[in-house]
Amino acid sequence: MLELTVQKEHSDRTIVLNVKGILDISTAHLFEAYIQEIENIEELIIDFSNLEFIDSTGIGMIMEAIYLSQEKQFIIKLKGIDEPIHSILETVGLFKVLEAVQGEVV
Amino acid sequence: MYVNEYRRICELTSSNDHSIDERLEREIKLARNIQAKLLNGFPRINGAEIQGISIPARLIGGDYYDFYRLENGNIRMVIGDVMGKGIPAAMLMILTRGAFRSASESTTSPAETLAAMSKALYQDLRSLKSFVTLFCADWNPITNVLTYASAGHNMPLFVNGKEKKIVDPPKASGVMIGAFSNQVYEEKSVKLEENNMIFFYTDGIVEAENKNREQFKHERLINILLEHSHKSVDAIKKYVVEAIHRFTEGVPPKDDITMVILKIHQESNTISFIHSKE
Repeated sequence: MLELTVQKEHSDRTIVLNVKGILDISTAHLFEAYIQEIENIEELIIDFSNLEFIDSTGIGMIMEAIYLSQEKQFIIKLKGIDEPIHSILETVGLFKVLEAVQGEVV
Repeated sequence: MYVNEYRRICELTSSNDHSIDERLEREIKLARNIQAKLLNGFPRINGAEIQGISIPARLIGGDYYDFYRLENGNIRMVIGDVMGKGIPAAMLMILTRGAFRSASESTTSPAETLAAMSKALYQDLRSLKSFVTLFCADWNPITNVLTYASAGHNMPLFVNGKEKKIVDPPKASGVMIGAFSNQVYEEKSVKLEENNMIFFYTDGIVEAENKNREQFKHERLINILLEHSHKSVDAIKKYVVEAIHRFTEGVPPKDDITMVILKIHQESNTISFIHSKE
């Protein structure tokens, strides 16, 4: 059983992805499918309020979203990250990558 | 006639699949042996002990540790975690090992080593949409100063064996290898004393899960390290591995489990390298 659901809300030129469950090596392809279909937007908001666990493959998917934002010129915002997952993302330097790519962190 | 021909083709395909499976299994076992050999050399140090172990979640893994004796007599050590698992991660682990050994030849500090590795590995890792986290440290056996830098990897645990407590040395932080080609890393250092123990590890240890999906967590790890800090690093390594096995109750590991333990016994030390027979 796959343990990740991604709910997409598309309004004007903003996409919100609500990520629920486990973003790891077994589920990352589901998240990647939503990232790969992104076209012609100004803003991507990824809401991690219901994210239970992330592994390195999951972090790699967020990295891909960040690099895509550079390539396709949209703003990316990460929200709802709880303290344990925030600590993991901070340790690997993901926020620094986001800052360097976009010049801002939300 | 057509039915017989179809059956024959099916039989041939099935027999072929079987031989491919067997060949793959053989090759994976060989790859596992190669990886185990590459993770098996430890420096032998008078007055200090160093040991490590890596247990892959699958047949082969993406965790990595290594040691390198520098010309000035210091020991450079590295521990790391390649994104992903299994064969793809193992291939990148070998790439990382080569970059570490090459960078260690030409750099004079952990921060410089990580910067050189970042430069060397950037293009490959970006094109493969992957990254590696690394913690690199130079230990001076004469002064007992440990100098270290991190490329997105967690800090090790510093155990004061005399006072039986965990101490917090200056935190080194930095971006993972594979994000940028020209990355500069900050460097910190700490003076080690007799009975100090440094426990370098990957997140597979603290994130190991049991049947109720509870994680092993830092608290359990710290309790084991404090309880057994007076014992040999080999014994401590076994206690940690056994505790994880007991805790997970047979639940297959999600991630590789890797640790390197350095324990200081006296103020001044001399070094030689050995290959463990484990």
